[in-house]
Parts: sequence; structure tokens; C-alpha cells
Amino acid sequence: MQQIKTVAPSVRKSLMNNWMLQIIIVVILAVIPFITGRPTQNMLILIFCMSVFAMSYDILLGYTGVISFGHAMFFGIGAYGISIYLANAKATMGNILLATLIALAVSMIISVFIGFLSLRVKNTYYAMITLAFAQVGVILAEKARHITNGYDGMTFRVSSVLMNKMLFYYIALGFLVLSFIFMWKFTTSPTGRVLVAIRENEQRAKFIGFNTLRYKIISTVVAGAMASLAGSMYAIHMRFVSTSVLGVAKTIDALLATVIGGMGNLYGAILGTGIVNFAGEYLSKLAKVHPIFERWYIIFGLLYILIVLFAPQGVIGLIKKITNKIAAKSVKR
Amino acid sequence: MGEPIIQTRGLTINFGGQTAVDHVTLDILPKTFTSIIGPNGAGKTTFFNLISGLLKPSEGNVIFKGQDITAMPSEARVKLGMGRCFQITNVFPQLTALENVRLAVQAKSGVNSIFKHYLKYSELQDRAMEMLKKVNLSDKANSLALNLAHGDKRKLEIAIVLALEPEVLLLDEPTAGMSLEEVPIILDLLAKIKKEGQHTIMLVEHKMDMVLSLSDEIVVLFNGGLLEKGNPEDIMKNEQVQKAYLGGMS
Amino acid sequence: MDIFVNLTIAGLSTGMMYYLLSSGLSLIYGLMGVLNFAHGSVFMYGAYAGVLVFGLTGSFTFGIIAAIVVGAIVGYTMERLVISRVYGQHLAQILLTTGLMLVLNELIKIPFGSNILPAFQPEALQSSWQIGEIVIVKYRIFLIIIGLVVATILNAVMAKTKLGMTVRAGVQNPEMVQVLGINIKKVFSFVFILGSALSALGGILMAPALGAINPEIGLMYQMTGFMVVVIGGMGSLTGTLFSSLLVGLASSYTAYVYPDAATAVIVIVMIVVLLIKPSGLFGKGAE
Ligand SMILES: Nc1ncnc2c1ncn2[C@@H]1O[C@H](COP(=O)(O)OP(=O)(O)OP(=O)(O)O)[C@@H](O)[C@H]1O
Ligand SMILES: [Mg+2]
Repeated sequence: MQQIKTVAPSVRKSLMNNWMLQIIIVVILAVIPFITGRPTQNMLILIFCMSVFAMSYDILLGYTGVISFGHAMFFGIGAYGISIYLANAKATMGNILLATLIALAVSMIISVFIGFLSLRVKNTYYAMITLAFAQVGVILAEKARHITNGYDGMTFRVSSVLMNKMLFYYIALGFLVLSFIFMWKFTTSPTGRVLVAIRENEQRAKFIGFNTLRYKIISTVVAGAMASLAGSMYAIHMRFVSTSVLGVAKTIDALLATVIGGMGNLYGAILGTGIVNFAGEYLSKLAKVHPIFERWYIIFGLLYILIVLFAPQGVIGLIKKITNKIAAKSVKR
Repeated sequence: MGEPIIQTRGLTINFGGQTAVDHVTLDILPKTFTSIIGPNGAGKTTFFNLISGLLKPSEGNVIFKGQDITAMPSEARVKLGMGRCFQITNVFPQLTALENVRLAVQAKSGVNSIFKHYLKYSELQDRAMEMLKKVNLSDKANSLALNLAHGDKRKLEIAIVLALEPEVLLLDEPTAGMSLEEVPIILDLLAKIKKEGQHTIMLVEHKMDMVLSLSDEIVVLFNGGLLEKGNPEDIMKNEQVQKAYLGGMS
Repeated sequence: MDIFVNLTIAGLSTGMMYYLLSSGLSLIYGLMGVLNFAHGSVFMYGAYAGVLVFGLTGSFTFGIIAAIVVGAIVGYTMERLVISRVYGQHLAQILLTTGLMLVLNELIKIPFGSNILPAFQPEALQSSWQIGEIVIVKYRIFLIIIGLVVATILNAVMAKTKLGMTVRAGVQNPEMVQVLGINIKKVFSFVFILGSALSALGGILMAPALGAINPEIGLMYQMTGFMVVVIGGMGSLTGTLFSSLLVGLASSYTAYVYPDAATAVIVIVMIVVLLIKPSGLFGKGAE
């Protein structure tokens, strides 16, 4: 484990510094559509959606210290909410919003139920039981072929405004920014700090009087809700949804992104999603050159294991270490 | 003095074949200082576990402020006014000392908003700092708990528990694993807390000089059972106690 | 009646396979507190190794031996290389065993691809006995016998040796056990080897019943394994046996009435158990 010396900075100053960097990044992202082509834009829209999904996963893993293998279920509910509704109703903005909200409500109810069922036993149970529920979700979606068209997936229309990819790029970017602010506010609130306390030492958290089960369920509900919204955005972007959105593999994508990027600070989840998607794209292109790269997932698996073992703060942690060193050196001079 | 604040009625727990706490019936009066002594394995920690709700008894009841709390989860007991330090230091390792205490203050205050930044509740922050000062740890406020020296960790845990403003304070060997130089600091701290007269204190401790100087009453546990109970002078004179203690220690 | 008997035999034999799979899971969790997310992968490796060697040599016995050996090697390697570094850290354990699962599941695809590999029953066990309308498939009886033998041996080992106590004490206080002259590292490795070998044995025995194997069966049966141990009570071998048979029978009967509901029934049983007794049928208290 790494030992970080924290110096209490004045709150406002540290917040200012953070916001500056973030505004610069957002401005760069806002300019990108003017200098890149369609494929990169689409890729970035996908990354924006998946980043929100990964950040929601980080609330569970990085903040609360709880592992889920069924988080994609909520993503899938969000995605199927849009696709099923729009396959059967007019693709107006109102309907899209309604579908998103219905899916959101369903996700929140299910997350309370699963949270209550498994988290009151042991946190490790959450990992096993979410896996089971995710599998059931996939089976149900497969069985409901007449609605979902199973693994082959279903296509649908969205309102023409949302078909404009340039515009949708900014909507997705706005979604990412708002989601980030929401989750950042949540995780730095007193309630968010209780989640961190639970991650650090659940017994102690109980013995200062926190009803930890209640807080853990709040954590799963917020995470489930954000995952559901990410799924809805994803569906609007893709205009295609198949059962793969519900599967364990989707959850593992978020797990990899969060761990590789760095757990417990939201930025890591975004960075990790970027890394995983761009590297995945690049490596699968290499597969056409040399078949050994068809198994590029092994590289991620190994990288992930090494990070958990030797750099538990992920890439963000490594970047921080390096910048701190540079800062220390420049101070000396 | 009035009604006892804590009562145990035939409190018993079995682990497999072993009875770690054996029909212990005990009354603790409010604002008193009670020490629980006994050889290693006598069941002192297990007794605390039963009172604080970490374990559920096989038999018997725990009554706190007149209310039967036997089935109550530990966090609810804390809310009712029970604070506990563990034999093995139990803090939040990757958080600063200040944040460790601030969380306890937050728990006590009931603040649970989900959008306001936690550092904007400056009154929680100030109160936490006050508690750190009380245990002489204010200069380490911004060190991570895991980087603190052993003695400082113990002090931190006491600060956390004091921040809860508990009516009853359960302290399980606060000087365990401490160097001889550090022990007097804890002793002074406990004496100070006792003098303030805000709390009912139950202390598990092996260091007899400390027990004798602080306690109003001493309870001796042996093989899970309540062997003797009385004021320090009587307990020291008691032959049975001496036999049990010396027998158990050798 | 005859159908009922047939279904019961089928259910018991499936249950016994679940037992082999989940007893290792339960053992490793119960003794060492490690929730092994790569356990299903070992099951799958056992199936591949066994099917392959059986195909090459024509001897099912050799297939079984190969599966056990491969399972033991994979288990030992995982434990030494990765898991031994994070004893006591539950979060890291799950993260790392998940990583191992990913790597193992991809590695198997390098030689075998993602497609299915047919698996056959040994010739001697292909036939069946017929008593009136009741058809008893020999292979199923073979599975039940093996399951019973393994359960008996496992219980005897746990009862006669101090393995359980040593490992639990070793997890809590490694130095102490080491002082007593026990090489706790070796004991930990042994538990992993044992658990993994059991899982791999389950893999090869299950393969002919499935008719074909693919890399996906690892995660699929791991999920079943998890549900079995949650129902039976994590760490209790008796609970695992009981719950394996319960789950085997329940899915066998349901599959006859309404095949699509077989998995759903297991999940419903699990939900009911979690609501009524969260620590499982044979589990100890929650904390
Ligand atoms: N969870 C448990 N499971 C089984 N046995 C236990 C458990 N907790 C305690 N014991 C046993 O109960 C007995 C009493 O233990 P306890 O920790 O209460 O003693 P203690 O008086 O606090 O000793 P010490 O002075 O060493 O701290 C011991 O024999 C111990 O092994
Ligand atoms: Mg003790």
C-alpha cells in the first residue's frame, strides 16, 4: 500500500486548482469535433457514456469498497428502457425522457432489493449475488426474444435531432460533465465520506454509530441510477441494443477501466475508460496484422493484475507520483 | 447514584464447547469507573463484545439505561450512548487523524446531506480538532492514521470515541502494546476524563497500578465467570482473587 | 413414478457434480476467507485437460488423472504467484482472482479457440439398465458414487486431521502457527491444490454429461457454484453437500416441467434462503 502524506490545503484553493484543470480538459474536448473525423467523434461519444458507467462503478468499488459483477444489469436496464420504449412508441423527445426515467426508477428499485439481500450478510456476498442476478438478467432478455431479439439485438429510431452526431457529441459531453459534478458532489458530501469510512473499516464505522447497511444501499442506488442513465445515453447513441449490454463482460469492462485508471477518485474511471477503449481499438486493429493480438484481452488482464498488486492507485496514482517528484525537484532548484 | 446504567443478567456465550462468558450478572452505576480484570483468556474482551453488540449472547440479557438491548445492533447501541475502544487498534487507516475524528463527530451530529461539501461543515471540523487537542494529538491532525506511532493510534481511537460523547465508555486495554514511556500519558488522559465526570467508564486492563489508582470498583473475571467484585482495597486483600490471578498468570 | 425416479437420479448426479465444484469453493473460502473468482476457470481447465487426454489415450481414467493434475497445478500456481500476496485483504483477493479468471479464460482460447469441443462418455458407462419403465444411465450412477466417495474422504480428512483448525489459526495469526513448527505456507498451498483439484475433477466428470465444452462453462458453473455455497452456508462442507443435491434435484425436476425455469428456480431458492437465513442453511451467524 502506498503511503501518501497529505497536507491540509485550504479547501477553496485546492478546489480552484482542480476546476482549472477540468475546464481546460473540457474545452479541449469541446474543440475536438472541429479537428477530427466522424470515427473519432463516435469513439469519444462512446467513451463519454462508458466513463459515466465506470464512474458509477467507482462509487461502489473505489469509494465503498464493494465489488459488483452485475453492475451492467443497471446499464442494460437503462439501454433496454430506451430501446423497448422507442421500438413501440414515437421517437419524440418526451418519450425518450419518459423511457429514461422509467428505466431509472426500475434500476433504483432493483438495486435496493439486491443491496438489501446481499449486503447485510457480507460485502463479499454482493460480488457473488450480483453475478447471479446479472446472469438471470441475460437469460430473461434472451427468453424475451419477441421483444428484445436476444443476442442479435434490436434496432430502433431516435428523434432526428439526436441523429445529428455533432450535436449529440455535445449532449454526451454535457452528460459526462453533469454526471461528474453530481457524483463528485455526492462523494465529497458527508454521506460520501461515510462510504469511504466503510471502505476503510466497516466495523469502526458501525462503532461510531453509522448504520452501514443503509449507507451501502445508498451507494448501490446512486451507482445503479448513474449506470442506468449511462445505459440510456449509450442506447440513444448506438440505436442498437443486444443482450451483451447486460452481461458480465460489460461489468468487467468497467472494473478494468476503474482499476487501471485508478480507484476512488472518479478521474481514474474516466481515464481508464479512455485507455481501455483506445488501446482495445488499437490492439484489435493489430489483430488483423498478426493473429496473436486477437487475444489482446490477456494483455489487459495481466496489466490489471500487476496494477492491483503493485500500483493500487492506478495510472492516476502513477501520474500524481511523477508530477509530485517533478514539483519537488523544481522547488529544490 | 440512582439506577444502574448498564446491567447484565446471566450473560453467557458459548464457542463450541467453551463457555467464554458464564452467567455474568453485573450492575454498573452511572458516572462510576469500573475496571474489569482477570487473567488472559478470562473472557474480558468477549464480555465487552456482548455489551457492545459485536456478539450476541447464547443466554442472558444486556440492559442499558433501563432498556433491554440484547437484540440491538451495535450501531444503535452507539446511538444510545455507548462508545468503545478495541484491544487491537481500530481506526480508519488511510484517512487523516482529523478525518478519523471528524467522521465520529459527524456520526454524532447526524449530518447526512448528500451534496454539500463535507469540509464546509466547519463546526464538525472544529469539534474534531478540539478532541484531538484533548488527547494531545493536534500536531498530528493531518497525518494518515496508518503512519501514526502505536501510542498515537491508541490516543486517536480514544479521541474518536470521546467525540461520540458517549455516556458509557468501554476501553479494552488502552495501553496494550505500548512502551513504558507512553503509558503515563494514557493514564493521565483517563484520569482527566474521569475527573471531568461526564462518563461512565469501564476499563479492561492488566496494569494493576493503573487499575488501582483509577477505579471506583473492580470486577474480576475468571474462566468466564464473575469471581469477585468490590472496591480496590477489598479486591487486593481478597485471597481468592490473588490465587486466581497468580494461578492464571503463571 | 418412473419419470420421478429418472429425474431424481439425474438430479442427484448433477448435484454431485455441483458438490465437486462448490466444495472447493467453500473449502477455500471457509478456511482462508478467499472468495476465488477463478474457481470456475479451473473447473473449465479440468474439463479441457480431461477431454483431451481421454481423446488421445482412450482411457477415461487417464482423463480424470489429467484433469486433477492440471487443476492442482493451476491452483498451486495461482496461489503462489498471486493470491499468497494478499491474504487477509478481501477486496484485493476478489480483484486479483477476477484478473486470473480473465487471463485463464483467454489463454485457453489460444490453442482451442472459442468453439465447442465435443466430450464423450466412456464406453463402459454408455449403456443403461432398464427396470420396467425406469431407465438408469450407468454414467449417472458412476457420478453419484464418485461424489459420495469424495464427500466421505473429504469429511474424514477434515475430521481426522487438524487441517481446518490449523488453516483458520494460520490465517488469523501466521507467526503463531509457524512457531508451532507447521509450515503454514505449505498448508495454504495444499488447501488451494485440494480445492482446485476438486473443481477440475468436477469439470471432467461434468463434460460428458454436457456433451460439449467451451471456455464459457467456467463462469457459467462458477455462478451455480456460488449459489450453491450461498444456499448451503459458506464454509460448511455438509451445507455444501446438502445444497448441491437440493439444487441438483430442484433443477432436474423443474427442467422436466419447464426447462427455461431451471436457473430461475435456483435463484429463487437462493433469494428465499437469503431472506430467511442470510448466512445460509448450515451457516453460522452473520458476523
Ligand atoms: N470468536 C471466538 N470464537 C471462539 N473462541 C473465542 C472467540 N472469542 C474469544 N474466544 C475464546 O474465549 C476466551 C476468552 O477470550 P477473551 O478474548 O474474551 O479473553 P480476554 O480476557 O480478553 O483475554 P486477554 O487478556 O488476553 O485479552 C478465550 O479462550 C478465547 O480463545
Ligand atoms: Mg482481551
